[in-house]
Amino acid sequence: MLDLSVVKMQIDQMVDDRRLLHYDFEKKLAIALREYKRWSGKWRELSEKISRSNTSWLLPDFFDGLDGAVPFSAPPDGLSVAATDGSQIYPDRHEVAPCFLINMGYILLHYDSGEKPIINSKPMLFYQDEDIVQEWDGVKTYVNQESVNAKRNALELSELSELSIAAKSMGHNVVSLSDGTLIEWALEGKPRDYRSQMLSEFIASFDRMEEEKIPIAGYISQTGSQELVNALKIGLCPTGGLDCKCCPRKSEVRKVRDTLPVKDENTKVSPIEGVTDAMLMRFILKPYQRTPTYRSNSKILREYGKHWIHFFYVNTGDEIGRVEIPEWVAKDFKLLNLVHSCVCDQIIKGRGYPVALAEAHESAVVRAADRDAFYGFLRNAFVDKNFEARISTKSFKKRFLSI
Amino acid sequence: MSGSEGPLKRFMRSDLLSDTSQGDDSLLHVGEVISSSTTEFVAEARCLDKAPSFGQFVQVTSEVSVIGIVYNVYSQSIEPNRRPTAYGKTQEQLRKEQPQIFELLRTEFQVLIVGYFDGHNPVYVLPPQPTKIHSFVLECDDKEVCSFTVKADFLRSIINASNVPVDELLVAVLRVALQARNSDQDYLIRMGKELSRLVGDDYDRLSSIIRRASS
Repeated sequence: MLDLSVVKMQIDQMVDDRRLLHYDFEKKLAIALREYKRWSGKWRELSEKISRSNTSWLLPDFFDGLDGAVPFSAPPDGLSVAATDGSQIYPDRHEVAPCFLINMGYILLHYDSGEKPIINSKPMLFYQDEDIVQEWDGVKTYVNQESVNAKRNALELSELSELSIAAKSMGHNVVSLSDGTLIEWALEGKPRDYRSQMLSEFIASFDRMEEEKIPIAGYISQTGSQELVNALKIGLCPTGGLDCKCCPRKSEVRKVRDTLPVKDENTKVSPIEGVTDAMLMRFILKPYQRTPTYRSNSKILREYGKHWIHFFYVNTGDEIGRVEIPEWVAKDFKLLNLVHSCVCDQIIKGRGYPVALAEAHESAVVRAADRDAFYGFLRNAFVDKNFEARISTKSFKKRFLSI
Repeated sequence: MSGSEGPLKRFMRSDLLSDTSQGDDSLLHVGEVISSSTTEFVAEARCLDKAPSFGQFVQVTSEVSVIGIVYNVYSQSIEPNRRPTAYGKTQEQLRKEQPQIFELLRTEFQVLIVGYFDGHNPVYVLPPQPTKIHSFVLECDDKEVCSFTVKADFLRSIINASNVPVDELLVAVLRVALQARNSDQDYLIRMGKELSRLVGDDYDRLSSIIRRASS
């Protein structure tokens, strides 16, 4: 049982600590803003500094510069927006059968034509041996939440490409939206064969969309990315982040740390540590304006080939959203413009969040009651067919605990 | 090309593949029973905002043709936790700019059961069994309306119903019955006489019903 009175005290403590940590945040933001402006005119110089740096910070590549705010233009008439979103019931090894479920939400909205939209969801049950036990790098692994997430992400993208291509073949001008990042960073550090199988599905979907010239974008709300701020940190560092591991300013770091109201052993050298790109962009972008595109440098992207992911930030009116696109969209001004106008239009129509993604989520969502019903069906089906099945003692005890 | 054909088919809801929501005239049903009892049933209209009118006679065919009168029509969200909110746009603008909302709303109608057809003969008693859930609901044509309303017994069923706007329903039903008879005034007089017996000596009530039914 959760002792709520203790939780409440811990939450209060957390908020107090956070408040102290944010004590000098305005000062940090002002420095970040000053640095952003300072480097805007000489972004090539910053770019060079970045290329020489040796740090674990995630740093972007600049192609169209650092600053600039591109205004939004209305999308063309008759646009169709496709979106998919997946939800899941994770495998539970305490249950009667090893299986998991992915529920895919499909949305296809046609604007201006009055044509009937597609709002649908389809459940997919995975229970075959190859779905449940997989061998990667010579090690047999039982399916887990992480592998289900990877499978769901790959399915979301492949189904989105199928839906968009089907819509395009019927004469629709389609933009595809995906919920969340297109960068499968969770695969970093996984066995090579696992990574390549998961990524091959991704790459195949991108290939199909590129062939059909259907722009795809991943939309991320409440982004905590710090790639631009990291670049500014390199700009601020007197050594240019030459070797963070052996930082010559360590003694200075200690001094900075000692002046902070909360002593944090992990405080890093930069005076703008903790500022996110979104915080910075709030001061730069007016509603529906976007930044130039930047190229992300997540390690996993080295395996994306020609679909290397670029991103831009957009002011949605309520927040700063991050939009990720493959390279062939970023480099094609027409497609890039279409993505920008479509995302903004979707945000306006959805009152703060792209309507197609919100509906895809609503279609896909599996609620707690659905999960209970799913396991109820499962147990009943085994009983009906006289198939011996056991739930684990732990699971049984969770439900029928005596006093 | 229709949306129910071609490569998009696999992404569509299987129950919509016949494109019924577009109002295909070859399909005659106006709704489908979603809740049923001996005295009334609730049906989901086949298309949003396309329920049969208040006071309209409808029938559901099972063992017998159950006859009922629509006494309430309403539209609402298909999900209980999502409420419609105002957009400040016309219906036409909404169809163009927010096409999803029409998929998230549904129209339902409530029907008071007033009897059934035994073959071609109207029977003014409640059917022995309620209508089956998911049965189709059809509008009665003029011939069926004339046949069922030839006697005034259905008026008593309405007068005795509870939770129904009785007088408004009487006016609407009489107008439907009159229209099916090309405004036959003799019929109106006959029904008026029967109504006067049913409402007792409440002259104001009777005259209000008759006046509005014949206007």
